[in-house]
Amino acid sequence: MTDLGPGEARILDRGYRHYRGDRSGVPGAIRSVVLHSVQRAMGLRRTLWAKVLPFAAVLIAYLPAIVFVGVIALFPTEDVPTDFLPSYGDYYSFVIAAIMVFVAVVAPEVLCTDRRTGMLGVYLSSPLNRDTYLVAKALAIGSVVSLVCLGPPLLMLVANVLQSQGPTGFADIALTFVRVLGAGLALTLLYTGVTMGIASLTDRKSVASAAIILLFLVSLSVTGILASVLDSDASLVGSVTVLSLDLATRVHGERSQIILGTSSVVVWTAWFIWTVGGFALARFNLKRLQVSR
Amino acid sequence: MAAPVIEVSGVDKRWGTTQVLSGTSCAILPGVTGLLGANGAGKTTLLGMILGLHTPDAGHIRVFGLDPATAGPEIRARVGYSPEHHLLPPDVKAVDFVRHVAEVHGLPRREATTRASDALWQVGLGEERGRAMGTMSTGQRQRVKLAQALAHDPKLVLLDEPTDGLDPVQRDAMLELIHRIGHEFSITVLLSSHLLEEVERICDAAVIINGGRVAASGPLDILRAGGEGLAVELDGTEAEVNAALTAVYATGAQIRVDGDRYLITGDDRLFEVVRDAVASAGVGIRRLGRRTTSLEEVFLGVGAAEDPRQASVEAPR
Repeated sequence: MTDLGPGEARILDRGYRHYRGDRSGVPGAIRSVVLHSVQRAMGLRRTLWAKVLPFAAVLIAYLPAIVFVGVIALFPTEDVPTDFLPSYGDYYSFVIAAIMVFVAVVAPEVLCTDRRTGMLGVYLSSPLNRDTYLVAKALAIGSVVSLVCLGPPLLMLVANVLQSQGPTGFADIALTFVRVLGAGLALTLLYTGVTMGIASLTDRKSVASAAIILLFLVSLSVTGILASVLDSDASLVGSVTVLSLDLATRVHGERSQIILGTSSVVVWTAWFIWTVGGFALARFNLKRLQVSR
Repeated sequence: MAAPVIEVSGVDKRWGTTQVLSGTSCAILPGVTGLLGANGAGKTTLLGMILGLHTPDAGHIRVFGLDPATAGPEIRARVGYSPEHHLLPPDVKAVDFVRHVAEVHGLPRREATTRASDALWQVGLGEERGRAMGTMSTGQRQRVKLAQALAHDPKLVLLDEPTDGLDPVQRDAMLELIHRIGHEFSITVLLSSHLLEEVERICDAAVIINGGRVAASGPLDILRAGGEGLAVELDGTEAEVNAALTAVYATGAQIRVDGDRYLITGDDRLFEVVRDAVASAGVGIRRLGRRTTSLEEVFLGVGAAEDPRQASVEAPR
């Protein structure tokens, strides 16, 4: 036997060890894909450049809330003009541009990358099938989108309550909380469904992002023209951005600022069609995609 | 005999107007099995059906006794798959990728982290495990794909053209590793390849697909036992060897030179004739045995047959 000095030992063969523990099955697979996809969308464990856009968009979405909270905290209530602070429903109009950019990036990053890099084939060779894969991706995209759709109003609510500026009393606070949650979830579902549907059409991230932005802008222009030609705001439900802003004000029980004279049934039906249509399109495209042949 | 890990019975599969598989039947036993066929023969389609990604138009498949069409998640949790393409997320580190795939297959995070690192060491990428996969060579990416197929301790590994794009040295290392996986790690390996030599080197059995049908399948020693006559390697001077061969030829035997070997065909007494002729000429015998056919000969033989099924060799049951 050769005597080895310090630092001279070498591992020649690491052998192979079988795993005999429990496996988490489909729920564990979904959990892992959600976590991985959230990290990917936010640029975590990636290069610095991959983090810039998502973090900048999130920061912009929170900035007005932080400013309003700061004003409330720093200045006496009587010095703050009553119309300076936006309502919870109105808040989204301050950050709609940031929301549009953010959601246009998230779904393509999470969906298109899998198709382009072969990860889809790897996932479908695991306990996941196409439906559970889509559920995992929807949960991931929804979680990230809720950062900008749900987080800022929630932050405002907490700050308002702590500064005694917002709702008072348990019932009022609970009602406002439910409305903030409801509006945030409605917008999260809407943007998740729509962006997933469009991102499922291509494996190119940039094309999908451009298509999403284009949809937002074109639908805004077209429905705006239609509204003026028809002299009816109802056609504005065809614009995702206008629809989302209007929904938020309706959930909070505020008078609708945008889609006037249109019943909530029409607005919620439009929300349902956009949201479910987006998810259905994503599922349809994934089902017919040949992964390996 | 061990129970088959995979059973394929009368499977048909059509893509559009193309009949990819037609009445395909075979059984994959534990060990290393080669799935042979030309490009476009239907190997990847068959792998996809084994994984439950496609359903057969007719026939049925059983993996671990389960039907992939209905028990896909249960089967895939115990299967490692290395796809043919070289695409991998370019900005993800190899160790993160392998760990993630292990987690998706149900391993707890801590175990997945340890095993990802171990698997990358196994495939020779221990020092490179922290590198982004976009910076890796084709050979390194092939090894990452093998590591991710291995990390969650599968019972069955499906490898689709795992040596594609590798140089000869890398190919040797990859084949040696696949052989170890099948024999030392006790994991059943189904290796899809269009390279006969690879399958011949490391596999215990082969399934040859030709024209959408299984042209031959079974253990290699049975598939290659179809040769006639003897294969002889002699050790002596040229004159001595010539004398021995002349004596054999004089009995009416046919002699063909194949590299260092002489392939001799003749009557039933051929063995004794060769032995006596070699002894008389004072020539040494390096090797004397029944002639075996190469997989290439098996492949070409069945490929030339009008109806490939006529030339099929069934695995013993």
